[in-house]
Amino acid sequence: MDQATKSAETLRRQIAATEEELSRLREQLAVIENEEVQNLKGLSLEEGPVTRKWPLELEEYKRYGRQMIVPNIGIQGQLRLKAASVLIVGAGGLGCPAAAYIAGAGVGTIGIVDGDVVETSNLHRQILHSTAKVGMKKVDSAISFLTSLNPNLRYIAHTEHLTPQNAREIVEKYDLVLDCTDHPTSRYLISDICVLLHKPLISASALRTDGQLIILNSPPLPAGDASGGPCYRCVFPKPPPAESVVSCGDGGILGPVVGTMGVLQALEAVKLITAGKLRAAEGEKAAEASMLLFSANSNPPFRSVRLRARRPKCFACSAEGGLTLESLSSGSLDYVLFCGVTAPVKILRPEERIEASEYEKIMEERKGKEHLLVDVREKVQFDICSIKGSINVPFSTVQGSRALAPQGEKPPWIPESLAPDAPIYFVCRLGNDSQVVARKLKESGLDKEGRYIGDIKDGLKAWKEQVDSSWPEY
Amino acid sequence: MSTSKAPPGHFKILYFGPAENHTRKGSENLPAPLPIGKLFSTLEEKYGGIKANLLESCLITVNLEYVDLPEDENEEGIMIQEGDEVAIIPPVSSG
Repeated sequence: MDQATKSAETLRRQIAATEEELSRLREQLAVIENEEVQNLKGLSLEEGPVTRKWPLELEEYKRYGRQMIVPNIGIQGQLRLKAASVLIVGAGGLGCPAAAYIAGAGVGTIGIVDGDVVETSNLHRQILHSTAKVGMKKVDSAISFLTSLNPNLRYIAHTEHLTPQNAREIVEKYDLVLDCTDHPTSRYLISDICVLLHKPLISASALRTDGQLIILNSPPLPAGDASGGPCYRCVFPKPPPAESVVSCGDGGILGPVVGTMGVLQALEAVKLITAGKLRAAEGEKAAEASMLLFSANSNPPFRSVRLRARRPKCFACSAEGGLTLESLSSGSLDYVLFCGVTAPVKILRPEERIEASEYEKIMEERKGKEHLLVDVREKVQFDICSIKGSINVPFSTVQGSRALAPQGEKPPWIPESLAPDAPIYFVCRLGNDSQVVARKLKESGLDKEGRYIGDIKDGLKAWKEQVDSSWPEY
Repeated sequence: MSTSKAPPGHFKILYFGPAENHTRKGSENLPAPLPIGKLFSTLEEKYGGIKANLLESCLITVNLEYVDLPEDENEEGIMIQEGDEVAIIPPVSSG
């Protein structure tokens, strides 16, 4: 078994290395091919158009026939798709389905940006990656899938995260950008660089059972031109407080929900390209911008709300704005600072916290009596796995202090039989929320009779590491 | 969230995504009319902390159309009428 694991690991590493080499070769080839195309273009200008009977290859008529015969697409739409280049930032839950349909539709050049590697927890929604690709760079995994789907296209791998420093160099080569990322910092950065480089932007996001879709900077007119489409800052000028930002890892996400949003991004990309709207036409005015909201559990599930035009004082796209390519790439615009940083939670003092292994001893000695272990994860998580004897008081129910009784009184979830001096321990997934609740309870005066109130440091993560290796990590 | 209309003398308010987690409900009915400038303070009274933690970064719509909130807190701005549908739309960044 061990031997098998080892050789699998070796193979995986070899595959990853080979993939990397392959994508490097592809990029080299792409550069050379591009030069050839440029040369050809130069030649044809002098010698008249290259005489070819049909503008597409025969295989392409077969491959794209079903979409070419859709009204409004036609041969012109297909040629526009072939000539277009699209940058997909993020090869995750949004980027995977978006890339699959964009490649399927025959967009000539597709770039993908992502610095992450494939993890098992990605596979339920990131449909270009497979179990065998765990540990591989997401971009390489995605391109290998896309190449097998449609080998006729040019794929460009950017195996790094988009940063203020590399944004210009990466984005300027493309006609259209899809924001498939997962953090406010990248949302503002991508919007800003698209405004600066005059690229339309299709932005989507998803969490739990909800999604949002917005087409931004379309038409992509220069900053200060009120006829251009609004940017992300026009819609959300103020980022949400850092502590309130929930990731898919913490909040959860349904595959088909984020998949729906990614597919809608691909659809909007195809619409924009085939309608010839990658660049602003002479005298073009922004059509009314809108945001599509998807709430899987609501009725109706889709709502479209009308957005404002460009904000007259927008930092990025108004004439008064202070955004320049220099300020962006020099790093003087600090996106992390703008969006706020979450500091590690340090609410409890060291003596108010115990190690997971210490709690195990307490459990043994006290045989589950004379103390209380309160798990403050949400009920859905508690139901997946919990420490024997613990009770569940979800963090969300304590936040509004509803689960906390008035000053001096005992909260209803403390069993009658619990001695007034019996210690109470709190636990959560990582040891942040447990500190908040322990502190709140102490403030309500529940430790007045000498009762110990504290939490388990690093939460259930530490429980797995120190006590129970069979603990299911989700 | 449902399509049911607000009862007489009320408007309906929808809480999307993270807003729903804050209020623990997808929607509710609030007394109308209410000047838009008083919306945040009305919600802050019901849900302590919601203004700074959520509302200030949200997109607000009335009847599916964005509205600007008055910059001056003492200004009332447009009036939310009986039967209107207000939506609180926080930025969602994950994906």
